[in-house]
Amino acid sequence: MTLVSVWVAVALAGFFLGCLYKAVRYATMPMHVRWELYPVAHEKGKVAYGGSYFEDLDWWTKPRHVSKFGEFKTIAEEVLTLKQVHENNPPLWLPSLLFHYGLYLLFALGGVLLVGAVPGVRELPGMWRLGGGTLLGVWAGAGLVLGTLGCLGLLVRRLSNPALKNASTPADFLHLWLLLAVFVTSLASLAIADRQLAVAAAFVHGLVTFKPHAALPLVFVPQVVLLGVFLAYLPWSHMTHFFAKYFTWHSVRWDDAPNVGGTTYAAKAQKQLMRPVSWSAPHIKGDGKKTWADVATKRGDS
Amino acid sequence: MAENLIPNVKDIAKAADTLSPIDLKKILPLPPPYDKDDPAALWKELTEQRRSEVDASLDGVSALSLRRPADPAEERRLLEGLKQGLKKLLSRDDNWTFLQQLELTLDHCTHCQTCADACPIFVTSGRNEVYRPSFRADVLRRLVAGHGSGANFIKAALVGRIELNWETFARLAELSYRCTLCRRCCQACPIGVDNGLVTHELRKLFSQELGIAAREAHADGSVLQLKAGSSTGMSPEVVKDNIDFIDEEMSEKAGFEVKTPWDVEGADVLLMHNAGEILAWPENPGAFAIIMQKAGIKWTLSSELVAYDAINYGLWYDDVQFSRVALKHAEIAKKLKVKKIIIGECGHAHKALSVVADRILLGDSNVPRESFAPFMADIVESGAIRLDPSRNDFPVTLHDPCNLSRAMGIVEPPRRILRKIAPRFREMTPHGVDNYCCGGGSGFAIMSGNNFANWRMLVSGRIKVKQILDAFAGELDASIPKYICTPCSNCKGQFRDLIRGYDMFERSRIMYGGLVELIVNAMADVRPGFLEWEFH
Repeated sequence: MTLVSVWVAVALAGFFLGCLYKAVRYATMPMHVRWELYPVAHEKGKVAYGGSYFEDLDWWTKPRHVSKFGEFKTIAEEVLTLKQVHENNPPLWLPSLLFHYGLYLLFALGGVLLVGAVPGVRELPGMWRLGGGTLLGVWAGAGLVLGTLGCLGLLVRRLSNPALKNASTPADFLHLWLLLAVFVTSLASLAIADRQLAVAAAFVHGLVTFKPHAALPLVFVPQVVLLGVFLAYLPWSHMTHFFAKYFTWHSVRWDDAPNVGGTTYAAKAQKQLMRPVSWSAPHIKGDGKKTWADVATKRGDS
Repeated sequence: MAENLIPNVKDIAKAADTLSPIDLKKILPLPPPYDKDDPAALWKELTEQRRSEVDASLDGVSALSLRRPADPAEERRLLEGLKQGLKKLLSRDDNWTFLQQLELTLDHCTHCQTCADACPIFVTSGRNEVYRPSFRADVLRRLVAGHGSGANFIKAALVGRIELNWETFARLAELSYRCTLCRRCCQACPIGVDNGLVTHELRKLFSQELGIAAREAHADGSVLQLKAGSSTGMSPEVVKDNIDFIDEEMSEKAGFEVKTPWDVEGADVLLMHNAGEILAWPENPGAFAIIMQKAGIKWTLSSELVAYDAINYGLWYDDVQFSRVALKHAEIAKKLKVKKIIIGECGHAHKALSVVADRILLGDSNVPRESFAPFMADIVESGAIRLDPSRNDFPVTLHDPCNLSRAMGIVEPPRRILRKIAPRFREMTPHGVDNYCCGGGSGFAIMSGNNFANWRMLVSGRIKVKQILDAFAGELDASIPKYICTPCSNCKGQFRDLIRGYDMFERSRIMYGGLVELIVNAMADVRPGFLEWEFH
């Protein structure tokens, strides 16, 4: 079973590195122009109706009141209740909620198993439970049942609603079928061979200590192979929205910080304006040498 | 077109006369008594002759008057241009302005359709598939996967393939002018995917790489503004003459002399109007002048080229044109050494100069910019002008321009004013940051070639008509004058067309106008009857 362990190790590495690559890529993108969208969650005292500092007379002379708690509250509300889906797409809300709660439980379980596999951790008081037990078994079962129900619900909805089906891409179906396969094979393994998750804990322990678990029950294998496929693929799919949401919300929708004294925007803008332009339309005639500063200060008569 | 009941994204490349025509039977119904109106009365099919000249194969509408390439060589050049544009859209050099937003949007749509019902155009059309917010974004995604930077077989298979031919080209260009950039879809998206941004980026690709843009926004818009000083074509001499004329008229109406100051160095306020107001709604700059004068503000207009027109149409379709105009605006304010710029009743000028241009205005070019709304709210609330709200004793509702509300979070100031001056003010539903676009957003209000004006009235603006009728429910009788307060020039242009198209002035005496006109109508020091209740 060394091969299975190697595959999962490679997939896990791919998952972490892929997510890291994508996150770093988004984080290091050039400063963009402002494109906020109200309500902005950190506008203290105004978020309830979507107001902003632009409502204040001589706003640049006044201190900004930015509420980090407001941002946290909005994100937490979205993550925990899928508020936007509930309000704007009620038929999809319940399956989506079940699906996401299943994933929350299972990713948390994965984290717990990884921590429990670190040498010495299980020897700490009370941590022996991380080697397998009823709690872990119920935890896994709950996550898998919720995930399976949610996944089935989403698939049924996508397949039965002609408009939704028509607007779906091959990838949208692939994700759901792949996850359903992971959930179902995991449920089978849990029910047949690993009710206390002892095998899973031992498998993860083997991964972390580089001593692959030798005797895996056959029914345990399909889930980890499929899980590996899922994890390796995830960073290249739209499922990275679990962290990309930080950028779409925090760095775009809520990025209302003004370019006033004491900020670094001017310096960053100077750098961007020196970038070359190659847009070819007659009113620009970018040649890859002219900069944004050059073209922005010309008139362009066509 | 029965076979096209639900066009798929890939069908955009299909040879068909009309991929997804407007279905008049499915158009959003209106409340009584307008429910009996036949939508067909507002619709205009293009003639066979016109159809043979311009491409209207998306939905039977032509905003751009695109002509089929004369020969295969031209077609190849256009398609190659589109491919090059796709690469530039995702380049750090060519699109640093919006790259982060765009990549996040392209990468993360789950096609859950949570955004769909937030789109007034999609809903009003009776859910025409090509207006679905994710539709045009998916065309772009597929083109990027198949033809953009790093295109490969696996990516294309996962997002779906799409053929790049003339049909795709022409329909995609048109499709980028079937969304008003109101961004309600983005507001609804649980992930933050911004399909409105995709519209913006597509327009940009066509304009910046291929020189294809709406004539009204580009050749007759930003190009003219940079060349002649204003998209209206007014030179500094003409604009001064026109303002002189407005001053005379205002003096007569107000009962005291009104004088607009020009080019006052060191003024507290440089007021920037959408120059369209000066020609189409002179009572708006006139009302500003009356209020400024009575409130004792040290203010000025600028007669420098570009500065007497606050518009910046580049906001809707072209970053380069946008930057050129924004830099001019800031440069002139700096030269005049004014303390701040007050942006008049023009929504997109607000967003352009206050938000989108903010980080490219460097050093002392970054003159503080403020909306007229809090500025006027302060004047009204401070007691600087005497008010008699009983002069506004008629039903008033407020249209929140998207660029003030959703794009800038300016929600309360106009309401603070209305509560002081309009005793019969009532809200539309929804309003504030949840408002619906007037249907003329992102330049649509100035676009009317072919049958685009019909589309704008029947599809993009109809939900606003419904909101207005709902807001005035029970008072629709023509004996009761009613006022839609719409503090944005672009929206005003659209309301003018909607009121005319639906005959709302004659039938229900529904009138539209700005906020400052309503303030002046309630000013005790001004002769009564500033509002004339004549439709124009």
